[in-house]
Amino acid sequence: MMISGGGGGGGKSSWSSSTSSWVPTTSVSASGKRIQREMVELNNDPPPDCSAGPKGDNLYHWIATIIGTPETPYQGGIFFLDIKFPIDYPFKPPEVVFKTRIYHCNVDPDGRVSMGILKDDWSPALTITKVLLEVRSIMTNPDPYNAVVPGIAHLYSGDRAKHDDIAAEWTVRFAK
Amino acid sequence: MENNAFRDRILEDNEHEEIPDSFVCCVCLDLLYKPIVLSCGHICCFWCVYNSMNCLRESQCPVCRNQYYHFPTVCQLLHFLLLKIYTAAYKRRENQTLEEEKQSGFYSPQFDPDTCESQAKFGHSGIPSSSSNLNLTSNSCNVGTSECLEQSGSAANEGDDGTIYYDGESDIIGTPAKGKKMPQEELSVQRKLSVADVTCTMCKQLLFHPVVLNCGHVYCQTCVINIDDEMLRCKVCQSPHPRGLPKVCLELDHFLEEQFPEEYGQRRDAIELKQIKVKPDTPSSCSLDNGKRVENIDWWSDPDPKVHIGVGCDFCGMFPIIGDRYRCIDCKEKMGFDLCGDCYASRSKLPGRFNQQHTSEHKFKLVPPNIIHNMMLRLATAQLGEGSIDLESIANIEVTSDGAALFDDGEDNHNDSEATN
Repeated sequence: MMISGGGGGGGKSSWSSSTSSWVPTTSVSASGKRIQREMVELNNDPPPDCSAGPKGDNLYHWIATIIGTPETPYQGGIFFLDIKFPIDYPFKPPEVVFKTRIYHCNVDPDGRVSMGILKDDWSPALTITKVLLEVRSIMTNPDPYNAVVPGIAHLYSGDRAKHDDIAAEWTVRFAK
Repeated sequence: MENNAFRDRILEDNEHEEIPDSFVCCVCLDLLYKPIVLSCGHICCFWCVYNSMNCLRESQCPVCRNQYYHFPTVCQLLHFLLLKIYTAAYKRRENQTLEEEKQSGFYSPQFDPDTCESQAKFGHSGIPSSSSNLNLTSNSCNVGTSECLEQSGSAANEGDDGTIYYDGESDIIGTPAKGKKMPQEELSVQRKLSVADVTCTMCKQLLFHPVVLNCGHVYCQTCVINIDDEMLRCKVCQSPHPRGLPKVCLELDHFLEEQFPEEYGQRRDAIELKQIKVKPDTPSSCSLDNGKRVENIDWWSDPDPKVHIGVGCDFCGMFPIIGDRYRCIDCKEKMGFDLCGDCYASRSKLPGRFNQQHTSEHKFKLVPPNIIHNMMLRLATAQLGEGSIDLESIANIEVTSDGAALFDDGEDNHNDSEATN
């Protein structure tokens, strides 16, 4: 048997013969069914302060909202996120982007969320519910050691009060 | 996942069925179909495991990230168990999967209908011979079809209205007794389980703390511990089990405890009396052509590995193949048929993990590892030291259509042996 990369990480090698390679067999219908099941699960048992659903008729493009957790600089803010599922989901991670501006060391200026589970630590067993909970978790506890905005991370580590003031100001300005 | 927790699953026909979380695949979130039990004890569908695998290095369990190096075989006991309990849902999954397989041109393994009733009826190897697997369009036992009956040795007569009548007792799930019509509703009736459906391959008693070997056969944990081989081998099909003892499949264990509380309790008491000591894990290995035994994980640090990246062995499931790789030149399936050196030496008679119609008459060809492939991979993973790459030799390498590397020095350095029987 020839394995030319399931979703686990290796793409199809350009050196492999097309007639003798394992190729990913995830069909659009299979990934679509999985997304539909997640949608049902989210509706039946939504995570706290989070909601998500398809944007219009496109099952592969969702809009999510996260309400800022109390006792954090983001409290009271409503943050919108764009979630795009790849065709070979769940074998590749979804792309999660904040549409609402947020002052956070793990969110780049374009809103892209930098989290292990959306990169190398992705597993097909993870769901959007778990991803949203993880995003909510990093809003409560940022990870300055894996920051995409070093300036914010530096401020978070060095002057937490000032960091929180700026984050709260951004929340009032962009998320309310 | 809580074994008792039931979750509504939306079906295509808007029919609601209750499937316990323990039998829901964590990848597709649907009823397990052709379940594979990984060495960590977690269960996923055949295609879900396949698509989760990493072609560049060791793969990981989707649930616990436990690393594994061999693609396991479908657990037939679980396959037929699920078919028996959730007949309608399992048939729906079969139809869906078959459609997807037709589109992709890759097929999952097919099982002999004779094995449907219980594991006790498995043949010597527990795996169907390739002769019974000729119909690639069928994924498993097609209940109520004449081909299925011919294979199982039951006689079937077709009435004027096209209905199949059964003249004899049949081993097929869902078939009624003599001469009765078989209405569609009866196919979806859940059949009651008996202990015979869930017995250990070795002790023939109810499974207690079941472990599933790489070949898909199920044993009690204590039965596996008592196997005195240097390398753990299945007593049914003689397949080696890689990398030490597998972990207990807890989902199946909890299910058995719920379904057969009395028998399970008796088994627990009997085993506690014996107080069997567990052997330490003895990781198995795969052979390189120089006779040295090296575990799969070592190939990354080996300065001169003989690795076939992206190629797995169709017998033991080793992936990637380390050492000699033999490719069947007669198997015409899209997936191909490959064996590692050890399995080639043992001359496997199995039909292949993707239902390839391989037979013992087919010829093999020794295929060298792809030099460029390995070199580029090492560069990408920073495994090559500075100055250790001979750029001139790379410039002289061309890649042939079958992905193998040839040196442009006027002679073929493939080291291909002649096609061997």
